[in-house]
Amino acid sequence: MTIFSRAKISLGKNKDIHIKQIKMDARIKYSILLIGVGIILAFLPFNAAQTFQLKADELLSLSGSGDMYFSVDQVARFVNNEDSTIQIIDIRSAEQFRECNIPGSVNIPFSELLNPLWEPTLNQKEIKTIFYGNGNQTANYAWTIVTGMGYSNSYVMKGGLNEWFKTVMLSQYSGEKITPAENARFENRLNARKIFTQINSLPDSLKTRFFDAKRLTQSKLDGGCE
Amino acid sequence: MNQLKNLKIVVLVLVVLLILVIVRNSNQHIFKQEVKTALEAVKNNSNLISPEQLLQLKSKWLVVNIGADNLPDSLRIENSIRLPFENLLDRANRKILEEVEGDLILYSSDEATASKAWIILNQLGFENIFILNLGDKPEELKYKFQPDTTARLEQDSI
Repeated sequence: MTIFSRAKISLGKNKDIHIKQIKMDARIKYSILLIGVGIILAFLPFNAAQTFQLKADELLSLSGSGDMYFSVDQVARFVNNEDSTIQIIDIRSAEQFRECNIPGSVNIPFSELLNPLWEPTLNQKEIKTIFYGNGNQTANYAWTIVTGMGYSNSYVMKGGLNEWFKTVMLSQYSGEKITPAENARFENRLNARKIFTQINSLPDSLKTRFFDAKRLTQSKLDGGCE
Repeated sequence: MNQLKNLKIVVLVLVVLLILVIVRNSNQHIFKQEVKTALEAVKNNSNLISPEQLLQLKSKWLVVNIGADNLPDSLRIENSIRLPFENLLDRANRKILEEVEGDLILYSSDEATASKAWIILNQLGFENIFILNLGDKPEELKYKFQPDTTARLEQDSI
């Protein structure tokens, strides 16, 4: 072996050692970085997936605005028109829901609000979600929670089912003259009352077929195809 | 020494991360509580307090009227303040809330306002907050549905 070839081997060994050292340094750096990030995450005081996404001042501002409410008359119109751009959520217990509910509503009891199974239903971008309970309180709790979690397009039916009964189910006109606007309002209420009474009087097995039957009757009246 | 120099970048990244976390957490408008805690309290009604319970409290308390109306005279509560709901989180008002010793009792003649305020403050990490419940049962259905026993689907429609 010549002096030159020995020198070459020695240079090659040094290069290997140098590469190994660089690799080792990189490993140490990444390890320290990961451990550091891990420690920071471990000491974070909350779980981001389970906390409100909105800022407090934003949520307060939304809460104070009247835009979060729909009146029972507006909801009655949605029911009469079978408006597909809204969904009505009944947040009462399953037992109360069975007794009577607003036609077309979905029962998500308040205690089930955070169930991940309901997330796709509640977190709608295109469809407006309207919450209602018997009164105003639980629906407002629900609204604040889902809105805080970043589910936009959420609303409350103001006054809940108590207001629905008072305004839609029991309203009567007692004047002598009626303006066209009042007439339209009472007709809207009368139609909603009829649907509410009919659908809640039917056995559960027939409830889903009610709307099919209603649509068919409507198409016959409009002169459309069956 | 040489190794420490090599770790400079790593330490720098960690410091930046730490600063970001500290800045985020010190932001007073960020919610820190788990939503589940609010849901559980509401479910058990443990966030409500009656006037009788309030007067029997041994710890200190302050009633914060966030509604549009005055406190009912029948309550005869002297230690109360008024903070409008929409300004509840203004710097000065927030300081007042933070400095309250003992329990914070929210009152509003409109139960919806108190409900929303309770959720927001609870999620901001305020502890010992209650809603003053004057004994009404806002979530009780006051009407009984009378089914129409003659209701049926038309035969040709089914």
